[in-house]
Amino acid sequence: MTTTDVRPGVHPPQPTADSSGDRGNRGSRLSDKSFIFFLLLPGLVLLLAIVLYPLVRSLVSAFFKESLIYPGMTFVGFDNILDALGDDFAPLLGQTLIFTIGSTVLSFVLGMALALVLNQSFRGRGVLRGAFLIPWLVPGVVVSFLWMWIFDGNYGVLNGVLQQLHLIDHPIAWLFNTDAARGALIIAKSWNSFPWMMVMLLAGLQTVPVELHEAAAMDGAGSIRRFFTVTWPHVRGIAGLVVLLEFIWNFQHFDTIFVLTGGGPAGTTQTFATEVYDTAFKGYDLGHAGALGLLWMVLLMILVVVYVTFSERGEKSATAEKSERAVKKEKTR
Amino acid sequence: MTALDTETAFAAELTSPPRPGRTGKRRRPRWGMWIALVILALFAFLPLYWLAVTSVTPNDQAFSYPPRLFPTEITFDHYLKIFRTPAIFRYLENSVIVSVITTLLSVAVSMYMGYAFSKFRFRGRKSLMYFVLSSQMFPQALLLVTLYVVFAQFNLLNTYLALILSFTTFTLPLCVWMLKGFFDALPDDLIEAAKIDGAGPWRTFHSVILPLAAPGLVASGLFAFVRGWNDFMFALTLAGPEKQTLPPGLVNMFITESSTAWPALMAASLVVSVPVSVAFIALQRFLVGGVTAGAVKG
Repeated sequence: MTTTDVRPGVHPPQPTADSSGDRGNRGSRLSDKSFIFFLLLPGLVLLLAIVLYPLVRSLVSAFFKESLIYPGMTFVGFDNILDALGDDFAPLLGQTLIFTIGSTVLSFVLGMALALVLNQSFRGRGVLRGAFLIPWLVPGVVVSFLWMWIFDGNYGVLNGVLQQLHLIDHPIAWLFNTDAARGALIIAKSWNSFPWMMVMLLAGLQTVPVELHEAAAMDGAGSIRRFFTVTWPHVRGIAGLVVLLEFIWNFQHFDTIFVLTGGGPAGTTQTFATEVYDTAFKGYDLGHAGALGLLWMVLLMILVVVYVTFSERGEKSATAEKSERAVKKEKTR
Repeated sequence: MTALDTETAFAAELTSPPRPGRTGKRRRPRWGMWIALVILALFAFLPLYWLAVTSVTPNDQAFSYPPRLFPTEITFDHYLKIFRTPAIFRYLENSVIVSVITTLLSVAVSMYMGYAFSKFRFRGRKSLMYFVLSSQMFPQALLLVTLYVVFAQFNLLNTYLALILSFTTFTLPLCVWMLKGFFDALPDDLIEAAKIDGAGPWRTFHSVILPLAAPGLVASGLFAFVRGWNDFMFALTLAGPEKQTLPPGLVNMFITESSTAWPALMAASLVVSVPVSVAFIALQRFLVGGVTAGAVKG
């Protein structure tokens, strides 16, 4: 969890986030309780009303039969949840995971490659660092429009290019084929998010001491070897973090799927987010939507717990490695 | 805490001055790097090229197969057409109103919260911070369902307020700790000095601390603006046809069962994407200036 130590060179304006006020000067300053209360009040009211209350209420509705259009709710116990865990659950979970893992992995690979390239020094690097952000700044619906047009079955540019290269003989209706539609979603989403990955990973890469690279190069280590022995230990922390965040965001991603494929063909690209939406706003079934949401939250929590466990273990071994290396360095001098 | 560090790292990356790159002597041409750069650039920019080119391609050329990568004729009719569509102006107006008010409200709310978390120690501070941060992890599609019901009860459906309240709340985690970071960088002595000079806590914050955190206010405001401008799901569901912003507006207008007017849609897409990109790039420069100035003085 403590990734701050991984990139001391990034100098965010708050390197001493929590130490700043813990210097024992409490009470000497404004310990005025009502002042603090009023500082926090607007934000807390919003968070309680717009996040916490709806969250709790939707989880509660998982245990009731409740409709969006008719008033009233009846307690049904675990019926909704058992229902949600029925035959449709496994495909839905699988589809969600395909989209989530596919998009996360692809955008990570692209983002890492780009960060490594943009960490080299060459003319025009500054301009490129800015220009590569554009796919990330484009609104989600525009991302969908654009890729919908590229993948269009009748006039799409992808078909045109592939056909001119003689890779296909006739135009393909990409978005009406399950596998192709899944691929299209992953490509569109990765195109949108890999610049963000690049920014984060570049921040991590800039903490790698140049001397280490030079020393390794002098010892004859190739660039691939240097990446895994010198670079990776330094960016591992931030890499794990961006992958986790991207995973969580992709898991709940809605825009691209809703616009680009609408969950189709035949519901084979539906994910939790679009399914919850459709259940509530097209099927008017709040209880079922709540049950899906409950299962979703449980999965998310398992994921976070797994991540925290692994990252803590990883961090321990990483610090151990680092100190070991430092000791070796000392000895060789 | 996870997200906290990322966002600050990210904010720092955006606002940090360009740092000198690796000054290694070039011993041999780096073919691998150049090949990777070309492939990545093609992936990133070809779609954008296609977006721009389609928006100026006459309809008869856009709807022909195989597609022409370089149209033989260029037209701005699609832009003229969308700017003559009253509905698009309504969406634009809604987008501007919602995004601007979200920005102002979000900065106002998060600066107080960030200040409290940064400069004061109180019981429950850590737990509250974790709560604020973790709130962005909750599935928004799920929140939306209940928010729809709640807003309906308060007759807030189809209003700007529904969108503004939602967007402001969802930007809080990010904005609060960006601003907390900026306040952390300011020395506590400032508060002490203002207190000795007889300023009350509110006065201290508003006239001493806030001006110094101006770059942070701009940075967090920018993120809030982008959130309001780019959102699709909430605007689609809570706003109704009259108060809809551009993203759902364009979907409803162009994406139909029959055929899509692709060149016009690409023109509209470009128009929607430009303000955010320009604001981001323009303010990024300004932020760099603000932060480096502060760093030099401090």
